[in-house]
Amino acid sequence: MSDLVFLAASFAFFFVAVLYVYGCQSLKGGGNA
Amino acid sequence: MTPNGWVQIAVFFALLLLAAKPMGLYMARVYERQKTPLDPVLGPVERLLYRVTGVNPDAEMRWTEYGAAMLIFSLATLLLTYALERLQYVIPLWNPQHLAAVEPYLAWNTAASFTTNTNWQAYVPEQTMSYLTQMAGLATHNFWSAATGMALAIAFIRGIARRESKTLGNFWVDLTRGTLWVLLPICIVYALALVSQGAIQNLKPYDTATLLEPQTVTAPGPDGKPVTTRVTTQTIAQGPLASQEAIKMLGTNGGGFMNANSAHPFENPTPLTNMLQMLSIFLIPAGLCITLGKMTGSPGHGWAVFAAMSVLWFAGVATCYWAEAQPNPLLHGVNQRVATAGPGQSLSPGGNMEGKEVRFGIADSALFATVTTDASCGAVNAMHDSFMPLGGMVPLANIMMGEIIFGGVGAGMYGMLIFVILSVFIAGLMVGRTPEYLGKKVQAYEVQLSMLYVLIFPLIILGFAAVSVLLPAGLAGISNHGPHGLSQVLYAYTSAAGNNGSAFAGINANTHWYNSTLGITMLAGRFLMIVPMLAVAGNLATKKIVPPSLGTFPVNSTLFTVLLVSVILIVGALTFFPALSLGPILEHLLLRAGMSF
Repeated sequence: MSDLVFLAASFAFFFVAVLYVYGCQSLKGGGNA
Repeated sequence: MTPNGWVQIAVFFALLLLAAKPMGLYMARVYERQKTPLDPVLGPVERLLYRVTGVNPDAEMRWTEYGAAMLIFSLATLLLTYALERLQYVIPLWNPQHLAAVEPYLAWNTAASFTTNTNWQAYVPEQTMSYLTQMAGLATHNFWSAATGMALAIAFIRGIARRESKTLGNFWVDLTRGTLWVLLPICIVYALALVSQGAIQNLKPYDTATLLEPQTVTAPGPDGKPVTTRVTTQTIAQGPLASQEAIKMLGTNGGGFMNANSAHPFENPTPLTNMLQMLSIFLIPAGLCITLGKMTGSPGHGWAVFAAMSVLWFAGVATCYWAEAQPNPLLHGVNQRVATAGPGQSLSPGGNMEGKEVRFGIADSALFATVTTDASCGAVNAMHDSFMPLGGMVPLANIMMGEIIFGGVGAGMYGMLIFVILSVFIAGLMVGRTPEYLGKKVQAYEVQLSMLYVLIFPLIILGFAAVSVLLPAGLAGISNHGPHGLSQVLYAYTSAAGNNGSAFAGINANTHWYNSTLGITMLAGRFLMIVPMLAVAGNLATKKIVPPSLGTFPVNSTLFTVLLVSVILIVGALTFFPALSLGPILEHLLLRAGMSF
């Protein structure tokens, strides 16, 4: 059971990190050249 | 403090200075895919790897693709290590001690730790990890996480150097070339040098030695009552140690094969290996300064960054050495009452030897502690928990500054470049012009993401530390009360977020609370900081080069070095000074007043 929880936690963290990549990219457009 | 101690510190820096330039120029050739003497041997291996994995080495990646590839690689290697730890007892390979499966919380913490180049160890390695797990799970991670850090630093440097480019290189190529051309060749020679000095390298079961003087030991039994036993033998752990030791230091990983880490005679047998280990921690990070200068066409800028790092390193080692060279005032008080010690005689001549390996002494312990926390190494040859309060504050403060004083392999360079961007921005504000960095205009997007990078770090450290000192689960791991206990918790989360991995050894972090929260801290401290850094690099790469003008702030000058050091100190001091005041600084003042914890 714990193994599944940690597996899910690992996938969840890296999924959030990939979303964060696109979040950082979307910050652009705030008036930059 | 002794002249001998200062000479050793001076010799260390002189050797680093000599090694930095050739190392940096070599790395520039490796990552720019120019010819090197190792090409005839490694070229075919590299091509074979690309063919097997289907990588097109000529395909360039945007920063988002580069970041996504890095994240996928890190997730895959994290899960591989977790699986190895959990299954080590059923794999019939290299487990002569028949060690059991690693408990899930600890296995995940360790997998996160080695994936992020932290190498925080909440376990006793020789009692927990099989040889297979040490080699295939942990030592391989030492290569991968180091090569990943170097690749990211090179991607940032390309972002500065390239003009109107949408790409930063190819993550898989940078990872492969860093491993094959830089880490592996040095580690092979390095491991042999360690073996020549007495480090062990074998796959034997542990030895048992008969004690010349049997010991009587009293310890709590299963029911909590004291049990006295007579100990006549000692187990001497064995293993493939030298090969792991080499990459542990060169890759600024720091995870020891043995629990005593670099204080263990099998890991660090002689004063010569001690000097080699300290130099190898700084070798690649110092070289990357020269690589920066070479790849951006501004060698003076690389040396200016090197100078800033050197100033901060010297300030740290001088403070730590001074603090540890002081006798403990409480022991001095004892002197007055001990009949065998006459007036004026000290029970701690030369300074504070508690927690230090007598083979290395105070100067080399202070230097090692400074170097290992300037970088994100975390290997230790002395127990930081036993340092004097201000001596222990130096490693803590080094990590709090973001480990940009030479720093981890790659991580130190890209962290320092974020501070360079902030320094250039501040200089631009002072003169009222749009800041430029090596011809690239630094605008709102770069500054926003640089500040995101800078703010994530204290947020996770102070947030988790604050919660831990409020919860019973957090307080349960502390072995000392008062400010020293706070320092233990603060150090743990700082070390985890900074991906350092060293510990104030007094804390028991092998609990569900610390294993899970420190695991999250390590992942956040690595990947949530890398992403904004890559975004800055990707945006810089797209920009045009603006010709220098009278208003351009030169980034190869002494003034730039002074400004950079000031910005680092101000950001670090303003962020963490309140926490340091409640920890080591308060402990120092109370110690002077006769209180210890």
